[in-house]
Amino acid sequence: MLTLVSLPYFVFMIKFERHTLTNGLRVIVHHDESTPMVTTNILYDAGSRDEDPRATGFAHLFEHLMFGGTPSVPFFDVPVMMAGGENNAFTNNDITNYYITLPSNNLEAALWLEADRMRGLDLREERLNNQKSVVTEEFRQRYLNQPYGDLQLLLRPLAYKVHPYRWPAIGMDISHIEKADSRSAKEFYDRFYNPSNCILSVAGSVDPEVVFTLAEERFGHIPSGEHNGRRLEQEPEQDERRELTVHRNVPAAHLIMAFHTGPRVSRDFYVLDLLTDILAGYDSARFPSILIRKKELFSDADIYLSGEADPGLVIFSGRIREGIDIKDAEGAVTAELNHLAEEYVTTAELEKARNRYESNRLMSYMSAANKAFNLAYQEVLGDAEGINSEREQYMSVTAEEIMVASQCTFRPGNCSVIHYLPAKR
Amino acid sequence: MKAGEPKAAPVIITPSAGVISFPEMARLGNGVPVYLIDKGTVDLMRIECVFQAGQIMEEVHLSALSASAMLTEGTRSYDAATINDLIDSTGAALYHLADKDTASLLTITLTRKLDEVLALAREVLFRPSFPDHEFRLLTDRRIQAFLTSRQKTSVIAREAFYEALCGAENPYGRIARESDYRSLTTGDLRRFHQKHYLPLNMYITVAGRYPEQTLPLLEKHFGINGRDGSGRPVRPILHFATARPVKIFCEIPGSVQSTVRLGWDGITRNHPDYQGLQVATTILGGYFGSRLMRNIREEKGYTYGIHAVAGSFREKGYIVIMTDVANEYREAAVKEIKKEIRILCEDEVTDEEMTLVRNHLMGETARMFDGPFTIAETVRGIIDHETGHDYYNRFTETIRSITPGKIKELFNTYFNIDEAFEIIAGAR
Repeated sequence: MLTLVSLPYFVFMIKFERHTLTNGLRVIVHHDESTPMVTTNILYDAGSRDEDPRATGFAHLFEHLMFGGTPSVPFFDVPVMMAGGENNAFTNNDITNYYITLPSNNLEAALWLEADRMRGLDLREERLNNQKSVVTEEFRQRYLNQPYGDLQLLLRPLAYKVHPYRWPAIGMDISHIEKADSRSAKEFYDRFYNPSNCILSVAGSVDPEVVFTLAEERFGHIPSGEHNGRRLEQEPEQDERRELTVHRNVPAAHLIMAFHTGPRVSRDFYVLDLLTDILAGYDSARFPSILIRKKELFSDADIYLSGEADPGLVIFSGRIREGIDIKDAEGAVTAELNHLAEEYVTTAELEKARNRYESNRLMSYMSAANKAFNLAYQEVLGDAEGINSEREQYMSVTAEEIMVASQCTFRPGNCSVIHYLPAKR
Repeated sequence: MKAGEPKAAPVIITPSAGVISFPEMARLGNGVPVYLIDKGTVDLMRIECVFQAGQIMEEVHLSALSASAMLTEGTRSYDAATINDLIDSTGAALYHLADKDTASLLTITLTRKLDEVLALAREVLFRPSFPDHEFRLLTDRRIQAFLTSRQKTSVIAREAFYEALCGAENPYGRIARESDYRSLTTGDLRRFHQKHYLPLNMYITVAGRYPEQTLPLLEKHFGINGRDGSGRPVRPILHFATARPVKIFCEIPGSVQSTVRLGWDGITRNHPDYQGLQVATTILGGYFGSRLMRNIREEKGYTYGIHAVAGSFREKGYIVIMTDVANEYREAAVKEIKKEIRILCEDEVTDEEMTLVRNHLMGETARMFDGPFTIAETVRGIIDHETGHDYYNRFTETIRSITPGKIKELFNTYFNIDEAFEIIAGAR
C-alpha cells in the first residue's frame, strides 16, 4: 500500500512576515489575495490560569468589559459595523483572543479600534455590574441549564489540585463572578493588556509593509508595559486514581476518564493527538467500531486532548447505553487503552490518521480569520512558524512512539474518573 | 488612561458587497445540474449532492431523517465497517444532512482523492442496504439523544413554537415522540430512499479550485440513470393549522433558566417584503447593538443573548424572538420585547441607526460570498428556495435604498404582537 508521504504532491505552506514594534508589540501578517476581507486578530497572553483562586472567571468577565467602550469610542460595535465588520472574542484557560473581520479597505479602522481599547477602557462600576449579570446568565445557559453541562465544572478540580487549570474559564462558581470589583479590573488590565503581552496578527488581502506601518502609527504610542510575569506552580504527578460519582436528572449515564499529559509544545502532544484520531477521530476508528458497534456498550465514545499550553489532559468521554453497568463500560475502555501499550497501531491506522490530519489542516486554511488566529496562537506558544512545522510533527509520528506514550499516559494512577449517573427516580 | 497621543480616528469606508455573480451551471449527461463555484487557495474540494428529500416528503414520521443517517451504515457491496473504513482511508469527511425540506450528502476531500471518494459517495447514496443491526443501534442512540433533548428548554420551546405555528400534523410542526422512533422500520427507510434518492431528484454543488475539472469524474460516478418508470416525486400540498394566538408553558422541572419564544406567522423568501423584513428584524434583534440586545442584555442584564429572526422554510415564513433568561426575569423579558416592538411601530428609526444597520448587513452579505465553501452554502439557499439568481444583488439594493418610513410600515404590517404565540419553557 502506498503511504501518503511517498506521493509526490505540493505541501501547502502559510507564508507570513513578522515585525516587532519598539514597544514590544509583535505583528504578524499573512497575505491572502483570494479574499476581499481582512481579519485582525489580537491575542492577549492572559487566561483563567492567571486568576486569583478566590475570584475565578475574571479573565472571561474582563473580556466582556473590553466591549464596554472607551472615552473616544463609547460603543465598540458601532464603528465595527459601520465598517461592515464582524467581531467577537473568547477566553480560555491560557489566552484571551479578539478578532475583527471586515472589508480590507477598512483595515485601518480595525487597528484603530484595537489600539484604542488597549490604550484605555471604561471600567466604571455600573458597566461592570451589568456584565456580571450577563456572565451569570451565560454561566447558567452553558453549564447549568444543559444536560451534562456541568461535567467541565466537575472534572477540573478532580484532575488538578495545584495548577489553576483546576477551574474552567467560566469560573468555578457563580458566586465568584459577584466578587469582581473595578479595582481588580483595573489591575488586571494594567498587568495584561499592554503591547508586550500581546500579539497582533493580520490575514487577508493586505500588504505586510503597509500593515507594519499602520500598526506603528496606531499602536506605537502605547507604553510597552511588562510581560505578564506569570509564575505558576506546576501540578505534581498524580499517583493515585481519583473517582467522583454524581447523580443528575439525565436519561443516560456518562463516563469521563482523564489522564495527565505533557504541555502543548511537546512531542507527547502530537503523538497523543494523532492517537486520539486513531481511537475516535472517525467512524471506522477503534472506539466507534469496538465500543459502540461491536460491544454495544456506548452510544457515543470520544477521546481528545484538552490542548492547554501547560501540561494538559487527554480525556475520554462517553455516553453509556441503557442497561449497561458503568463499571463494565469503564473496563472496556481500560482494556482498549491497555491494548495500546502492548501492541502497535497498524500502518493502515496511521495512514488514515495522517490523511485526516491533512484534510483538516487544509480545511482550517479556508478562512483568513482562522489563519490569523492560528498564527497568533503559534506565536504565543513560541513561534508562529509552528503553523507550518507542526505538519511534520504529525506526519512523523510512529507506532513505537504511540506505544511508549500510551504506556506513560494510560496508567491507573494517572487517571481521574467521573461516573455521571441518572438520578434515582 | 495610558500615556501617549493617539492618531485621530481613520475615515471609515462604506462597505459594499460589489456585484454578486451566480455561479455557472453545467449538466451531466443525465441532466443533473452541477453548480461550479470557483476560487479557493488549497487543494480541497467541497461536493454536495442535494435531494428534495426532507421531512415534508415523509409518509412515515422520521423516515427522511433516519434514511439520511443510515446511508453510511452499509451498502449492497460493503458492510458498515468496510464502507466507513474505505471512506476514512481517503481522509475525506462525508456528512449526511437532512432538514424539513431537503436532504444532502456533503463531501469534503483532498482533490487528489476525488475519484475514490466520489465512487464511495455514489455507493452510499444510491446503493445503501439499511441493515437491521445498524438500524437498531442507531435507533437506540437517537432515542437516548431524544430523551436528553427533553431536558433542554431551548429545544422544547422551539418545537412548541413550530407546532403552534404550523399545526401538530404538519411536517414543519410535527413533534417526534419516542414511539415514532420505536415503530420506524428499515422497510420504511428503504421505501423512502427508493422514492426520493434519484439522480433526477438531485443537484450538485462543487466548490474549490478549478471545479470544472471535476466534471468528467462527476459524469463517471453520477451520470447514471435512475430506475425506469420512477418519476420525480412531487412535493405534497401542505396544510397549515390556523391556531389562535396562545400562551404556552412547557414545564421542565429543575431548570435554572427559561427559554422565551415569542413569534407568529411571517412570509416566505419569495415575498416582495421578505428582504425589507430582514432589515427590520436586524434593527430589532439581529446584531450585537440591536434594540433588544441593548435593552435586555446590556441595560437589564437579564440574558446572555436575545435574537429576532424573520425566517422561512420552503413554504412557511415566521417571525420569532428568542432568549434564555433566569426564571425570575421571564415575565419582564416578554414585557420588554413587546415594548421594543411597539416603539418600532410608532417611531421611525433615525438615519444614524439606519446607516449602521445598512453597513452591517452589507458587510454580512459580502462575507456570505467570501471563499468557495461559504459561497456554496449561500448558493444552496438560493436554489432551494427558488428565489432567483439575482437574489443577493436585489438584497444589497434593498439594504441601500430602504427608508425609515418603510421599516415602520413593515413593523406595523408584520409585527402584530396580539397575534403572537408566547412560549415559555422552564421550571414552574
